[in-house]
Amino acid sequence: MQLSREALLQAYRRMKIIREFEERLHNEIATGEIAGFTHLYGGQEAVAVGVCEHLDNDDKIVSTHRGHGHCLAKGCEVEGMMKEIWGSSEGLCKGKGGSMHIADVDQGMLGANGIVGAGAPIAVGAALAAKLDGKGKVAITFSGDGACNQGTTFEAMNLAVVTKAPCIFLFENNHYSEHTGFRYAVGTKDDIASRAEAFGMKVWRGDGTDFFDVFDTMREVLDYVRAGNGPAAVEFDTERFFGHFEGDPQRYRGKGELERIRKERDCLTKFRESVTGASLLEASELDAIDQEVLDQIDNSVDAARSAARPTADDVTTDVYVAY
Amino acid sequence: MTKMMYRDAIRSTIFEAMEQDDSVVVLGEDVVGGMGTDGGPEAIGGIWSTSTGFYDAFGADRVIDTPISESAIVGAAGGLALAGKRPVAELMFADFIGVSLDQIWNQIAKFRYMFGGKSTCPAIIRMAYGAGFNAGAQHSQSVHHILASMPGLKVVMPATPADARGLLREALRGQDPVIFMEHKMLYGMEGEVPDGDYTVPFGHARLARAGDDVTLVATGLMVSRCEQVADKLAEEGIGCDVLDLRTVSPMDEEAILDSVEQTGRLVVVDEAPPRCNLATDVSAIVAQKAFASLKAPIEMVSAPHSPVPFALELEQAYLPSVDRIEQAVRKVTGWQ
Amino acid sequence: MSKLRPLCMPKWGIEMTEGTVAEWMVSDGQQVAKGDVLCLIETNKITNEVEAERDGFVLRIVEPAGEDARPVGTLLAVIGDTAAEEDEVSSFIAGFVPSESSGAKAASSGKSAKTKAPAKVPTNLAISPKALELATAHEVDLSTVEGSGRAGRITFQDVHRQVNLPAAPQFKGPADLPAEDYVIFATPLARRIAHAHGVDLAAVAGTGSRGRISKSDVLASLSKTPSAGSPFEVVGNRPQVEPFDKIRKVVARRLTEAKRDIPHFYLRISVRADALLAFRKTANLVLSSKASVNDYIVFAAGKALARHPEVNVQVHGEEIHRFPHADIAVAVASDKGLVTPIVRQVDRMRIDQLADASAALIDKARQGRLSYEDLDGGTFTVSNLGMYGIEAFDAVINPPQGAILAVGAATEVPCRRDDGSVGFEQCIALTLSVDHRAIDGAQAAQFLATLKGYLEAPDTLFA
Repeated sequence: MQLSREALLQAYRRMKIIREFEERLHNEIATGEIAGFTHLYGGQEAVAVGVCEHLDNDDKIVSTHRGHGHCLAKGCEVEGMMKEIWGSSEGLCKGKGGSMHIADVDQGMLGANGIVGAGAPIAVGAALAAKLDGKGKVAITFSGDGACNQGTTFEAMNLAVVTKAPCIFLFENNHYSEHTGFRYAVGTKDDIASRAEAFGMKVWRGDGTDFFDVFDTMREVLDYVRAGNGPAAVEFDTERFFGHFEGDPQRYRGKGELERIRKERDCLTKFRESVTGASLLEASELDAIDQEVLDQIDNSVDAARSAARPTADDVTTDVYVAY
Repeated sequence: MTKMMYRDAIRSTIFEAMEQDDSVVVLGEDVVGGMGTDGGPEAIGGIWSTSTGFYDAFGADRVIDTPISESAIVGAAGGLALAGKRPVAELMFADFIGVSLDQIWNQIAKFRYMFGGKSTCPAIIRMAYGAGFNAGAQHSQSVHHILASMPGLKVVMPATPADARGLLREALRGQDPVIFMEHKMLYGMEGEVPDGDYTVPFGHARLARAGDDVTLVATGLMVSRCEQVADKLAEEGIGCDVLDLRTVSPMDEEAILDSVEQTGRLVVVDEAPPRCNLATDVSAIVAQKAFASLKAPIEMVSAPHSPVPFALELEQAYLPSVDRIEQAVRKVTGWQ
Repeated sequence: MSKLRPLCMPKWGIEMTEGTVAEWMVSDGQQVAKGDVLCLIETNKITNEVEAERDGFVLRIVEPAGEDARPVGTLLAVIGDTAAEEDEVSSFIAGFVPSESSGAKAASSGKSAKTKAPAKVPTNLAISPKALELATAHEVDLSTVEGSGRAGRITFQDVHRQVNLPAAPQFKGPADLPAEDYVIFATPLARRIAHAHGVDLAAVAGTGSRGRISKSDVLASLSKTPSAGSPFEVVGNRPQVEPFDKIRKVVARRLTEAKRDIPHFYLRISVRADALLAFRKTANLVLSSKASVNDYIVFAAGKALARHPEVNVQVHGEEIHRFPHADIAVAVASDKGLVTPIVRQVDRMRIDQLADASAALIDKARQGRLSYEDLDGGTFTVSNLGMYGIEAFDAVINPPQGAILAVGAATEVPCRRDDGSVGFEQCIALTLSVDHRAIDGAQAAQFLATLKGYLEAPDTLFA
C-alpha cells in the first residue's frame, strides 16, 4: 500500500530516533555513568514503529524489559525517557522506574516490564476494557521468544479467546531469550505463532526487519481485531543488535553473526534503500533527518545530565494515592 | 584456610556435590547459556557465574538449561526432589518468586506435611536478592521475610563466603526444601574459607563482633554494615554484639535472647520494608521473651514502606545505611 | 551567659536547722546529669544524699566537706546550666543572700504551687492533650520535641523523654571476638564465655540442638567437681576488694560511735508465745487484717512504753527527752542496707492500723523510697531476726534513742503443764539493750515485765 511522503518521513524519523537513542545509551553505559540493567531494542525498530504508526492514544500497548523502542514508538517523549534512564526526578517516572519500568499511561503505554511474561494478562485486561468501551480500540502485548514460554502468556491467550478480547499477541522473535537460542528454548511445531493457532486464533507472520511488511501486516491484523473478531496473534522475525543486557559479552553469538545481521538485516538500511530506490524520498532528506535526530539525542542527554536529582524524601512518595 | 569469592564458594560447593552425588542436578534459566545458538553451550554458566563449567563436566541431563518459566523451574525442582533427586534450581532474581509462588508455597513447602510425612522434598531454590545495583523495583527486592513466614521452607542467607559454602553443604545434605538467598552485592566479596568438609547447621547464628552494650541483629549484606558501625563505635568504648542470623527459618532465638540479656539494648537491621519483616519478628520475640532485660526501646532499621526505587540517590536512601544504623545504636545507647 | 543557681544547705523535716557537708561527690567544673549525687549531708539525725535537680555544671564548690555544721540556707555551691566565667561565678557568690523561707531547696526548685498558664503551642502543632499537659507542667520547649506519633504528632512519651533527659550510660565496651570454629557448634554467648575463661570447647559436652554447646554447658564445665579418687587441689582464693559505699560509711561510723560511747546493758527474758500465736490467727480473721507476729510485738511495746515513759526517751548530750507517745522504729533490711523507718504513735493505734503502717514502710524501704520524715526521730526500736531462725541476739542502740528490743524466733521448748505433765510450747526470746546513762536497770526490767505480760495474755492488749 502507498504511504504519503509525510508518513514515510515520520516512520523513518521514529525508527532513527530509537536507533540513535539505543546507540547513544550503549556508549554512555559503557562509561559507567548510567546505573542498573538496560536492555537495548536496537535492530527491532521496524516492528515497534510499523505497529505503533497504526495506533492512537486510546489503543494500549504492554511492553517488555526491552521496552525503549515500544515507548518511543508509542509517543513517550525522548527527553523524559532519557532523564528517567539517568534517574532524574524530572524523568518520565520521576527517577523511580528506570529503564525497565518506563511508562506513560496517557500515551496508551502501560509500561515496560521487568518480569518476563507479565505483560500478556495485563494486555488482555486492557483489551476487555476496550471491549466494554465499544470504540473499536485494541490492546497489544509485545512478547519475545522468551516470554512466550511463561505460563502467563498461555493463560492470557486462552482467556482472550474465551472472552473474545480485542487483544493482539505480538511475538517479536529475535532468536534469543536472554542468552539462549530460540531453537532450544521454544518447544513448538514450527514457530511461536503456531501455538496461538492451537488456541484457535487467527495468525499472521511477517519479516520484522522490513518496515513495510510489518506495517501492511498490522493493518490486516488490526482491521480483523477492531471488527470484533476477538484476539489475534502475529509473529515478526527480527534481530537484536545488542546483548541481552548492556555488559553481556554475547559469547553465544556465532562467528561474524553480529556483523552479518547489521549488514544484511538492518531495518533502517532496508527502509532507506527501498524508499530511495523507488524514488519516494531523496537520500538528502533522510540525511537531514539523521542529523536532526542526532542533535535531538545530544540535547536530551545534555538535559538528562543537568536535570534535577531526586532526594531521600522522594523515596516514600507515590506509594499510595492516599496515605 | 583459602581465600575465595562468595560466588566461587557457591559454585565450587555445588560442583563438588555433583561430583560426589549423581542425584544432584542443576536447573534454571541460562545456567548453561548459549543453548540453541551458533556460539554453542556454556556461554555464561549462570548470569551470576555460579554454574560456570558445569555443562562441560556433567552434561545436559544434569545441568538443565530451562526456558524463562519460573513456575516450571520451581515445580520441576519439586518433582525432581520428590522423585529422589537433589535439584539445585536457580531463580536468577528473588523477585521472580512472584511468578512461581504457588509452586514454592503451596507445593514444595507443603508436600511432606500433606503427604503425612511419607515423602521428602530436598529441593534447593537459589536466588539473588537485594538492592544496590539500581536494578529497579522488580529486580532488587528482599523477600526473605515473606518466605520465612511459610512453614515447610528453610530460608538461608549467607553473609560470607565461608558461610555460603557451609550452609549450602548443609542444604545439600538435608532432606528439606531450602530457599538459598544470595545478596547480589556479595558475589564479589572475598573471604577466608576453611578447608575440609565442614557444614554450617541451620539455626545457628554467628557472632560477627562482640560487645556488651548493644545487640545488632542482621542478615546478608546488612551484616557487614553492622560490623562497620561496631568497629566505629568500639573506638568510643561502645561495644556491639553483631549477630549474623545466617538463617531466618529456622532462626537462632537463643543467641538473640542471650545477647540481649547481656546488653539490654537491641537494634535489628533489615533490608526489607518495615511492615511484618524480619526486624518486627525479632523485635516481637525479644519484647516477649527478654522484656525484663531491655534498658531501652528496641530500634528497627528497615527499608521504607515503598517499592525499591531506581535512581542512585533514591536507592541509597532506601537501603539501611551505615549512618542510619549508627544513629539507631546511638539512640538506644543514649536512652535513660 | 549561663544561668547560675545556688545549691544551699537543705532543710529536711521540720526540726532541721543545720547540717554538715560530709562528702562531695563532684568537683569544680564537673558536668552533672539530673539525678547525679552531688554531696552527702549529715544532720544530727541522719545522713542523706543531695541529687542534682537538672543537667548542668558544678561551677564552684563554696562549702568544703568536713567543716562545722552550717545553718539551713547556707550557700554550698554554685550550679549552672552551662559552663561560666570565673568572675561571673565570683560575683554571684558575693551577691548571694540566703533565702528567708524555710528551706532553700524548695525555693531553688522554682516550682510554685500555682497552676501555670498553658504552654504556648505553635499553631497547628499536633500534640496529644496529655503530652501538652506534661509539657506545660515542666515548661518544655515544644519546638525541641520530635514527634513520634502519627504524622509527627507529639505524644506523651515524646515529652516524657524530654523531661527525663537521658543520663550518660555506663558502657562496658567491645569484647574479644572468639574465632568462628566450623567443627564445634556452640552458641555465640557460649563461645564468648569459653574464650573469657580459657575453656577448650572441644572438651565440653553440648546439650542443645544437634549437640550445640550453650552457655549453661560452659558454665557447668567451669564449675565441674573433680571425679572421685582425684587428689584435693588448692585453687586461687583472691579476695574481691570492695570499698565501703557512702551509706555503708555512715552506718559504720554511727554504729561505732553508738557501741563505743553508749554504756549498754542487756536484759533477757523469754516469752511464752502459744497464746499470742493463736490470738493473732483469730484476730486477723476477725479484723481481716494481716498483722504479723512482729506487728503484735511492736504493738505491745507501744502499749508498754506508754505505761513506762521512763524508757520512752531520747538522749541528747546531757539532756533526757521524755516523749508522751511511742514512735517505734522497725529495722528493715533493704538493698541499701539496714534502715529503720518509724511507725508514729504506736500506743494510740489499732492493731490493723499498725499492720498497714508497717507494711507500707517496709514496702517503701524495699523500693528505696523512704523519705527523711520516715526515718527522722523515733523513741524506741524493735529489731526482729526471728524470720532467720535466730533464737536470741543483742542489738546495738540506735542513737539518740534510749533502748532497742531484739526479738528472736519462736522456738519449741518443753514445759511443765498445770497437771504436772510435760508438753511443748512456743517461746520467743527478747533482749532489751538499754542506755544506762538515761535508764536504770529496774526501770527497764519493769518495762520488760509489762511487755511479757501483754504478750503472754494478748487479750489484755485490747482491754
